Amino acid sequence: MKRLLKYLKSYKKECVLGPLFKMFEATLELIVPLVIAAIVDRGIGDGSTGFVIKASLFLLLLGAVGLGFSLTAQYFSAKAAVGFVGKLRYALFEKVGTLSYSDIDELGTSTLITRMTQDASKVQNGLNLALRLLLRSPFVVFGAMIMAFTVDAKSALTFAAVIPLLSIVVFGIMLITMPLYKKAQKGTDGLLSRTRENLSGVRVIRAFRQEDEEIEAFKGENDVLTAVQRRVGRISALMNPLTYVLINVAILLLIHTGAMQVKAGNLTQGQVVALYNYMSQILVELIKLANLIISITKALASASRIADVLDIVPTENMGTLTEGKNSDTSVEFRSVSLAYNGSSEPSLEDVSFVAKKGDTIGIIGGTGSGKSTLVNMIGAFYKATSGEVLVDGVEVSEYERDALRAKVGIVPQSAVLFNGTIRENLHWGNESATDEDILAAVRMAQAADVLEAKGGLDAMIEQGGKNLSGGQKQRLTIARALVRKPEILILDDSASALDYATDAALRASLREIGGDTTVFIVSQRASSIMHADKIIVLDDGQAVGIGAHDELLASCPVYREIYATQFSEVENG
Amino acid sequence: MAKKIEKARPGTMKKVLGYIGKYKLLLPVSILLAVISVSLTLYIPTLIGEAIDLIAHINEPEVGSIDRITGVLIEAGLLIAVTAVAQWLMSTINNKISFGVVRDIRNDAFSKIETLPLSYVDRKAHGDVVSRVINDADQFAEGLLLGFTQLFTGVLTIIGTLAFMIYLNWVIAIVVFVLTPLSLFIARFIASRTYSMFKARSEYEGAATAYINEIVGNEKVVKAFSQEGKTLEKFANINAGLEKASLKAIFFSSLTNPTTRFVNSVVYAAVALVGALMAIPSVNSGAIVALVSVGELACLLSYANQYTKPFNEISGVLAEFQNSLACASRVFELIEEESEIPDKTDAVKLSGVEGNVSLKDVHFSYVPEKPLIEDLNLEVKPGMRVAIVGPTGCGKTTLINLLMRFYDVKEGSICVEGNDIRDVTRESLRESYGMVLQDTWLRAGTVRENIAMAKPEATDEEIIAAAKAAHAHSFIKRLKNGYDTVLGEGGEGLSQGQKQLLCITRIMLSLPPMLILDEATSSIDTRTEIRIQKAFLEMMEGRTSFIVAHRLSTIMGADLILVMKDGHIVESGNHKELLDKGGFYSTLYNSQFAH
Repeated sequence: MKRLLKYLKSYKKECVLGPLFKMFEATLELIVPLVIAAIVDRGIGDGSTGFVIKASLFLLLLGAVGLGFSLTAQYFSAKAAVGFVGKLRYALFEKVGTLSYSDIDELGTSTLITRMTQDASKVQNGLNLALRLLLRSPFVVFGAMIMAFTVDAKSALTFAAVIPLLSIVVFGIMLITMPLYKKAQKGTDGLLSRTRENLSGVRVIRAFRQEDEEIEAFKGENDVLTAVQRRVGRISALMNPLTYVLINVAILLLIHTGAMQVKAGNLTQGQVVALYNYMSQILVELIKLANLIISITKALASASRIADVLDIVPTENMGTLTEGKNSDTSVEFRSVSLAYNGSSEPSLEDVSFVAKKGDTIGIIGGTGSGKSTLVNMIGAFYKATSGEVLVDGVEVSEYERDALRAKVGIVPQSAVLFNGTIRENLHWGNESATDEDILAAVRMAQAADVLEAKGGLDAMIEQGGKNLSGGQKQRLTIARALVRKPEILILDDSASALDYATDAALRASLREIGGDTTVFIVSQRASSIMHADKIIVLDDGQAVGIGAHDELLASCPVYREIYATQFSEVENG
Repeated sequence: MAKKIEKARPGTMKKVLGYIGKYKLLLPVSILLAVISVSLTLYIPTLIGEAIDLIAHINEPEVGSIDRITGVLIEAGLLIAVTAVAQWLMSTINNKISFGVVRDIRNDAFSKIETLPLSYVDRKAHGDVVSRVINDADQFAEGLLLGFTQLFTGVLTIIGTLAFMIYLNWVIAIVVFVLTPLSLFIARFIASRTYSMFKARSEYEGAATAYINEIVGNEKVVKAFSQEGKTLEKFANINAGLEKASLKAIFFSSLTNPTTRFVNSVVYAAVALVGALMAIPSVNSGAIVALVSVGELACLLSYANQYTKPFNEISGVLAEFQNSLACASRVFELIEEESEIPDKTDAVKLSGVEGNVSLKDVHFSYVPEKPLIEDLNLEVKPGMRVAIVGPTGCGKTTLINLLMRFYDVKEGSICVEGNDIRDVTRESLRESYGMVLQDTWLRAGTVRENIAMAKPEATDEEIIAAAKAAHAHSFIKRLKNGYDTVLGEGGEGLSQGQKQLLCITRIMLSLPPMLILDEATSSIDTRTEIRIQKAFLEMMEGRTSFIVAHRLSTIMGADLILVMKDGHIVESGNHKELLDKGGFYSTLYNSQFAH
């Protein structure tokens, strides 16, 4: 949490001036009752019209100067809050760029997004409020008390008694209700997930005729929630009446002791009025303070969520090498194991293989068998827990980050494109690619018709590629990787949205890349990988078979099983 | 404030009142309590003013004595207690009404979901429906509560204060009355000026959020192409724009508060001036009189403070209340959505189902201009296996939708055992089918409860037997509490394959005469997949089954294959017939399984 303060450093001036001007304003407010007392005692008491007019003008002046102070304070605190949060958002965005795949997996992108948007704006509001009011309210409360003491110490004792009592009531109620509010929030979350489930599971629910049971369950949960909400409501409804009673009883006591003091000649009537006014001010400020503390607590929770992200030490540590060794081995795994953070079960266990330049490597296995993990380790997106991953004869973490990744062209499982023209998207593969390079890649990826349909390289892609079909997106992501002319091309189960004919044509054209390009094809379909030079069969993170198709059919039971479920009867028939 | 307020649809208030009607007796009590607490709150300062006046004469034995002051103060004390109690009761009652009303609305909305036609559920974004039931209802509750407590008492306070001031001194009342609208006017002026700034800010905010969503949401791709630096650069630009716009919007909108406070000080000073001048004793037709006493002045000053406060609040509360009505109208929109066509009044219960299903001249489309199924005729005999095949997204589920009567056919008819399915009860129709879909659905509860869903009266032996038949027993046994293991929402804690096995067990237990199965494609490891496959085969023994098929073995073993493409059934027949035909099926077959 403390480390967030460093982003506030460049707004030191604003952070001091904001509250300071707010306190100036508060000081002026504290003077008002004294002026009223003077009006009563000297203006009315002595019958001086001139004094009354002067004093009233003075009140007006106080108001105007107060307005000036207040605006100044407002400006500084807004500037500090907005600037601070701007810096935070930038720092978060930058931080996210340094996270490794494992970090991202662990955090989840949706929480990262929430922190940069909702949490950031809560912090902004909280800081803005805090700078303006956090000092002001206690200042007015204690200021009013001190002023009361200067007016008359004996009467002011009432203040000393009532302020702690008020604080107990206000903060006590807050302490009691806060966990209840959380409970209510949990209840709401429960209703929310039930509603969502009933929409997504609508077919099953109706097929099993569970409609009435679901309604009953919802009503039950809803009743519980309503009961909690009503209970919180009843308790927090105590706040106003209790503070009202406390303050007003204090005022009554004040007037009573005041009356005695006046009788004894120690106090004037105007001073009693002043004391009365101070008491009223205290009430207003305490209520404000309570509301303020609620918003600030929320902002602090958001701030600590942001700090959690900024505190992450990224696990992506890379070296400085820009070139690999000259060798005919493209990728080599030496007894590589990987266990994700916090998981005792390894996702990959003791995998070893060699891929020569120009080889096509097929990787097959069920979901969760570690296929994606394996190929992502080539670009050092995941790091081996033990063992070594070598690219061009060099351990991947010794490369400079971008140097390594420039060698690798990945077509990820989910076809993601970004808002911008098709050209801009394909330039991600290689900034300096010419239009000819791009068009060649597009043709190879069987995406020429996508360009045609959308109107060329300058056609806009909407956010998330919404104006493209799944198959169109997939082909463009393949083109994006090909534009790079990578030394290692990785297709991570990336033909799932293609129809069979396009898939076959794509495979045929990939075979023609030839040269030194090493191709990794991840798939669940035996037909996609059976012609690879080498097939790696993964089962539960273990390489249970490595070899060519025919060898594996003879030696690897898992491969045989997979092949059988997809092909057996073709062979027989 | 500058926030644009969505208008509620006409008639919303009436509907809200309809829901409040349930609390008919509480409402007048709440209003009565509001009147009591507001008028006492206003009356008490006059007592305090009186006491202060008595202080002035404290040394004149006949008028002011400590005893008289004490008397007045005790009276005030009692009234303060009454006020507090009234305030608390009023809040409690308003709480009860608001949360009760929202509970009822929510229940109605949720009940509606269970009767909505599938076309609605499929068409609407689920997030939108959820947000109506949850967020809109929540905001409505908040607004309603606020409306009850603050709007009403606020208006009462303004009227009451004015009345008291006129009663105390009409000149000062006029001063206040003339000056206060000034603050409202200024607030409105600022709001209209800042509106464009807020718009600019929310545009930047939207752009920043969209960019964050796009980039951070796909950070892995960004990293795969080493675009971290470039994206950060672009974000810095958007962020700087957002900062500038935010500063303007926040600063200018925060002008409202200090400015209205300044107006308050003007009013305060004016009351002090006029009041004090009138309080100065003057000689009038021989007698020394003051038009205002000091106590009255103190009292008026405190009114002046109180009077402006609700004005400032009311404009905010009013916006909030309007917004909450808009929320309510969105919930009502859902509640008033057309339910699916109810069962016919003379609908019969389907019984003695053997598995005869016939489709006659069936036409169907989701949207009129895009006909999907045209003139489909099918005669399915008991025990037949019908496989539906085709590329992803070709509309294989459409047929399931029609068989289960999630959607009604546009023309033609579907008959089970000779009964048009529109003439039988939905319940009995759906009871005749056992359905296992790819997206498994489990409810929060124990494994046992989930299995016994379709047959709540099943014994433990029956459940275990079903689980064994579905090859699920061995993994269930190994769960922490076996059959009593509590599953989280959506079957949390189980793998996709295990969930699927549980769903199969569910069907194994009730064993309806007909089956609808959707073979899983990808999300299951090979071993479990083989187990599921076995379970499927055992289940299909002797039952009419419709299978959305992905496996060659299933397809080749089917009595009838329906080949679908782009929503249409393009070919049908058995494996051999279709291969011989050399049409779409054979291309499909060759590209997928041969090479």
